[in-house]
Amino acid sequence: MIEINQLSHQFVLGKKGQQSRLDVLKNISLHVAEGEIVSIVGRSGSGKSTLLNLISGFIRPTEGEIIILDEKVSEFTEEEFAEFRLKNMGFIFQSFQLIPSMTAYENIELPLILKGMSEQARKQMTLDMLKTVGLENFKDHYPSELSGGQQQRVSIARALVLEPPLILADEPTGSLDSETEADLLAFIKKLNKERGITFVIITHDDEVAKIGDRTIEIADGELVRSGVFV
Amino acid sequence: MKLKDQFRFIRQNMKKNRMRVFMTILASAMSVAFLIVLASVAFGLHDTVIKDTIESPEVTQIEVAGKDTGNGNAESLTNQNITEIEALDGVNAVTRAKQIRQETRYVTDGYEINTQTVQSHFPSMENAGIELGEGSFPETKDEVAVGYHFALNLLKDDVADEDIEYGEDGHLIPEQRFSGEIIGQTFDLEFKRMEDGEEIAETVPVTVTGVLEKPGREWAWDQKVYITDEKLAELEAITGTSKAMLTDPSEAGEDIGYDTATVYADDLEAVKSVMTSLEEEGYYVYSIVSEMGQINTLFNIAKAGLIFIGTIAILIASIGIFNTMTMAVTERAPDIGIMKAIGASPKVIKRIFLLESTYIGLVGAVIGIAVSYVISIGVNLALPMILETAFDEELPAGLQFSSIPFTLVLIAVVICLAVTMLSGLRPAKRATEIDVLKAMRREI
Repeated sequence: MIEINQLSHQFVLGKKGQQSRLDVLKNISLHVAEGEIVSIVGRSGSGKSTLLNLISGFIRPTEGEIIILDEKVSEFTEEEFAEFRLKNMGFIFQSFQLIPSMTAYENIELPLILKGMSEQARKQMTLDMLKTVGLENFKDHYPSELSGGQQQRVSIARALVLEPPLILADEPTGSLDSETEADLLAFIKKLNKERGITFVIITHDDEVAKIGDRTIEIADGELVRSGVFV
Repeated sequence: MKLKDQFRFIRQNMKKNRMRVFMTILASAMSVAFLIVLASVAFGLHDTVIKDTIESPEVTQIEVAGKDTGNGNAESLTNQNITEIEALDGVNAVTRAKQIRQETRYVTDGYEINTQTVQSHFPSMENAGIELGEGSFPETKDEVAVGYHFALNLLKDDVADEDIEYGEDGHLIPEQRFSGEIIGQTFDLEFKRMEDGEEIAETVPVTVTGVLEKPGREWAWDQKVYITDEKLAELEAITGTSKAMLTDPSEAGEDIGYDTATVYADDLEAVKSVMTSLEEEGYYVYSIVSEMGQINTLFNIAKAGLIFIGTIAILIASIGIFNTMTMAVTERAPDIGIMKAIGASPKVIKRIFLLESTYIGLVGAVIGIAVSYVISIGVNLALPMILETAFDEELPAGLQFSSIPFTLVLIAVVICLAVTMLSGLRPAKRATEIDVLKAMRREI
């Protein structure tokens, strides 16, 4: 599913003329198999978020290559990456990243609109997804009218609605209480089992990391451990 | 993303800041209305002038002053030339006249008038559709037609020169002029001929059969007497000179050309082709239509100038659109970031913002057009009344101050759309350059 070869990334810091370079990721190579749940753990500033940003195409690597679904995405243009993301990737963010002026229904419908689907098909798929995440009675609620757990479920529904093969999650339980967290993790596990969706989850929480089939630990921009979490 | 959904997005976004969008649309509408109303004055006055010209009977007339002899000199038209011209496509008739080269005097029972005598070709006048005010066209040698003002200046012969009085209309007062029926009146046409250096008076009889219509122009004055070809031939035979010139026949040159010739085209469309044909043949021609070309050029320059001034107003309004769109991009940066993150392509983002600025411009243009029509109708109704009251002068009938043709509406819409699209271009580009991570205010 994901093949990363000798990936390095540097941040340029400081004002123009007085710039310095900071190595955030150093020579990382890893492989994520189809249908796998991989947890990426590490301390703050370790570079795990940068790794996910690079896989998502939000930033471009300084060196190395990223291959997703046999496509060398690290060489994509912005336009090509946008299309690829829409088709193959779903995102779950820690702070949900819902559009506040849109209802739960409209937020979930957004990827379908971007894909240019007909209104009728969109309606059916959005309602199905609302049902899947158990929010069919909250479809006309705005994000501000939903709890944290409900907002995260809307966010998951939006990520799933186009049925992408890969979901990238950034601290998905970071804003949730322990009970809601357990529900969400169970839901992720269920989706992985039933639909075969590949998950890459960034977390600093060992409990969350445990749902992964494999855990990758990053420290100071280097891959220090890859294997089953014990 | 479908266009319909893009428009839904735009409407949703516009609803978020109604007041700002409303003010921007208002500015666009005002600028479009300003452009259209300003230019409509030039269009209105142009229409009035053109309509006035087209409706005048002279519009199908082409004056032929002469023909180029090949060395830059012009010679007057001969019968052969007239036959050539009559054969041209689009020519209805060619009226022509020769003026008698001496002053003639007409005398009847107790009345007299000194006036010019002109030989006219009456059949061509009839063909040209020229109508007499009274009576019928002369048919026989002694029959003549007279100008509209002929009878008004037919003076009683017992009035001494110093007692002659003229009325406000510039003609003789009723007491001193002929008051009977002019049609059927027989006159002695008095003229002279030269023989051995001496002037000898001659007289031939003529009878009035028709009176020409009053000349179209207020200031025009027609008291001439129009005689037939045969009558001219008789006068020429008596004087022994061309056009009855008062010269000794042995010294007189030959002058057989027509002094004036007017070509009557079938219709307005034919005027241009007839003129071209005549010019190609070397004729010197003039038509009111050629003046129309100059009028059109002048008005088109005026229109372009006014549209340019109006465009400046639209450019000023576009600053408002630029500002509104820049604010919109800034405010919506987090939403744009989310959309880009889930797969909205930069192209789609750009299109949405361009469409939004164009939409604002279009709504403004539509409102502006509607307002312009209202103002135009109001101006056309109110301004004549105001001017008539202020200057106490009646304005010419059919005068139109403001006219909004479809082309003007089209020009205004195109300018407005082009300017608004341009003003939305930079904000739209900025929207596509929004950094996903910065927009979401955090990194994943």
